Amino acid sequence: MKRIRLITILIVTSAIYIWAFTGLPKIEWKETSVEVVSAIFSGLFQPDWSYVYDPGGEDLLQGLFDTLAIALLSTFIAGILCIPFAFLASKNIVKSHLAVGTSKFILSFIRVFPDIVLALLFIKAVGPGAFAGVLALGIGAVGMLGKLISESVDNVDLSAKEALIASGANPVKTFIFAIVPQVLPNFFSFILYRFEVNVRAAAVLGVIGAGGIGTPLIFALSVRDWERVGIILLGIIVMVTLIDIISGKLRAKLI
Amino acid sequence: MIELKHVSKVYSNGTRGLNNIHLQMEAGEFIVIVGLSGAGKSTLLRSINRLHDISEGEILINGNSITKAKGRELYRIRRDIGMIFQNFNLVRRSSVMRNVLSGRVGYHSTLKMMFGLFSKQDKQIAIDALERVNILEKAYIRADQLSGGQQQRVSIARALAQEAKVILADEPVASLDPITTKQVMDDLYRINQELNITMVVNLHSVDLARAYASRIIGLKNGEVVFDGTAKEATREVFANIYGKNNQTMNQIGVAK
Repeated sequence: MKRIRLITILIVTSAIYIWAFTGLPKIEWKETSVEVVSAIFSGLFQPDWSYVYDPGGEDLLQGLFDTLAIALLSTFIAGILCIPFAFLASKNIVKSHLAVGTSKFILSFIRVFPDIVLALLFIKAVGPGAFAGVLALGIGAVGMLGKLISESVDNVDLSAKEALIASGANPVKTFIFAIVPQVLPNFFSFILYRFEVNVRAAAVLGVIGAGGIGTPLIFALSVRDWERVGIILLGIIVMVTLIDIISGKLRAKLI
Repeated sequence: MIELKHVSKVYSNGTRGLNNIHLQMEAGEFIVIVGLSGAGKSTLLRSINRLHDISEGEILINGNSITKAKGRELYRIRRDIGMIFQNFNLVRRSSVMRNVLSGRVGYHSTLKMMFGLFSKQDKQIAIDALERVNILEKAYIRADQLSGGQQQRVSIARALAQEAKVILADEPVASLDPITTKQVMDDLYRINQELNITMVVNLHSVDLARAYASRIIGLKNGEVVFDGTAKEATREVFANIYGKNNQTMNQIGVAK
């Protein structure tokens, strides 16, 4: 019986794989492929250093700075907006099933939209530029932060709450002294993590016109200025790596 | 100072936790409540500061009804009643000092407490409390770094910082080893003697009850079956409280 099941699973899985691969278009190398790939690589190894800093116009540092600013501001907005949802979505804090359910639903609803979709919506709403990026990432992050933080509120040890109530603390004081200290380290850790995510996302969102380093990248790509593409990619790599290292160290200290 | 008037408690599932309890506890007493698990010791203690609501009767604290109190009045009455728990109930991530200071929150406005604004006087009270239980040197260590006995002493310090007139202790030594048990019970006894703070302590060890109590109350199935001095609490009395099962008697430590 077990064997038959195993064989059936094997046959079904291989059938799916065969069907999937036969559906693929034939992989062909275009004549220009080799040329383009080698051009990208030569661009990466001979980056356009003059683009790094250009006092007069738009340069790499300006683009990276914009990206960072978008990430920072959007994380800040999300960090504040997620607080009420995070607590309202936890049965430890709110007794009403309706309130918890509604908050959870709102958080899931926000998480449904990929950052790119949100960015496209906001670009239509407020026009292209950094502001659209800030709004997209700011709103988008609420879904994730709210869920993670409300889960950490769910795991809070409630025994201290009992002690505070017994000492004559009202609900607000109880919340501040018994719940907040337990959630705060996780809260900051999640915020830092989301900041890392937002830096990467902000770099990409520029491609569709939501401000930051992605915009010069897509321009450079469309005019095949590989040296410039190279320096921009290098800049993004350095920035993302640095931020990941710093934020990782900070988070390790928090927990 | 604590008066229970015909107090009964029926849980929502129909079980009777307390049945017509009528007691008067005087200031300065060291009362130990004994009984089997499920006899209603914890329910009785938690009814006194209204962590549990009672179904019938009334409880008066210094003449004020905690049963009828609402909002601020309730917080005010609770402020005068400290509580110590079996599992210490500290905020494990916070420092010892902050845990002890949390006993002071009842004295300040919510706004001040949102920003953690304690006065110098509060800090001095917390330091004195820690000193009294000999744990001042741990003041700035995180609570979860301490041993069980030390954590229980921090929770005693929290009740002291609260400047409570009564301390309720729900199985304060149940999760401690024999040596720390003695230290913690000695601390409670000293506080009772030196500061004249009334103690109401739940224990299941009869030996401990005999050693420390000025008055023992025996509970069985939510009813008071004994109320008298430690001397009056003879082997027969405990047999009545715990049932005449010899094995149980040995487990709870009644000398033969």
